[in-house]
Amino acid sequence: MFFAELTGDVEILGKGMMMGLGMIGPAIGIGLVGNAFINAVGRNPEAAKFLGQALVIIGIIELLALLVFASLFII
Amino acid sequence: MLNLLRLFAAEDKGPAIHIAPGEIFKIGDISITNSMIYGWACALFILVLFVTVRHGATLRPKRGLIQFVEAGVEFIISLITNSLGSREKAIKYAPYFAAIFFYVLLNNWFGLLPGVGEAVRVGETPLLRAFTADLNGTLAAAIVTMVLVQTFAIKESGILRHIRHYFSGSLKNPATYLFGALEVFTEFTRIISLALRLFLNVVIGEIIISVFAYLGSGAAPLTSLPFVALELMVAMLQAYIFVMLSVTYLAVAIKHDHADEHASNDHESVPEESVPSGKGQMVKEN
Repeated sequence: MFFAELTGDVEILGKGMMMGLGMIGPAIGIGLVGNAFINAVGRNPEAAKFLGQALVIIGIIELLALLVFASLFII
Repeated sequence: MLNLLRLFAAEDKGPAIHIAPGEIFKIGDISITNSMIYGWACALFILVLFVTVRHGATLRPKRGLIQFVEAGVEFIISLITNSLGSREKAIKYAPYFAAIFFYVLLNNWFGLLPGVGEAVRVGETPLLRAFTADLNGTLAAAIVTMVLVQTFAIKESGILRHIRHYFSGSLKNPATYLFGALEVFTEFTRIISLALRLFLNVVIGEIIISVFAYLGSGAAPLTSLPFVALELMVAMLQAYIFVMLSVTYLAVAIKHDHADEHASNDHESVPEESVPSGKGQMVKEN
């Protein structure tokens, strides 16, 4: 309520919160993939050839972040 | 010079953001959109490129345009070889995957050329728009891909065995039908996820470029340049991911019967089998 009076525009607040909260999950997910990949390469340098698959998994996760971003223009 | 710069930052009205393609003209009831026009142009370009290269292709490597196409096709073949396990199969399936790879890649890249987008307009709508920045386009690409994957899988293992591979396990167990229905439903979600991933990556790249061009106003080329460079990389990555995922779907659809045949075999085949099965698990989590 306080914020609504302050800005007079709840829509912007909603969009900001959606971006901020929605990006948390994908950020953690991509971080975990990167962590696992670097760990694997550190233990066994041969594993560097799986970079392509790591990128594909990042692409899968990224879709969720992109959905959040795209919703900005729809709501 | 300053006038030219202002073209990039559509003045005062905020950044120019289009999620849907704009209609240029109508033929009967069918509206022809700007993305369709550019998609046709790209398809024509790729056709001409491939036909030209085909006549020039020799065993000994040549310089120039041929190198680019040969490297791309070889990359796709080795990618399919890794997933399916044999080079003959890879060459058999390469034509479609190479075509879709080049189509997505070149459409993504051509969408970043100057002149595409707000700079050239017909009335209010831009004349050209990247085909992959249109949900209809990517949905069409995804549907064609998944239909072809199903066709390849049926050709490879016969229709009954292909259907049986969704309903694996004892047929008397009701859980088999439940999981089978879920697997069939997954095929449809794959279409949506393939289409949405490509579309959102490209269109959001365009939005980010246009937002930063707007923020830069006079210095628009400077502020948006890093994002154009980022988008060049993302375009390549998305083409790779699109092909990689569809090849993985194909590998999963084809592989199952082989796994059943060789399951009771010796341990020699274990290292070969372990790599594709890992990919299979990855996709199921999708």
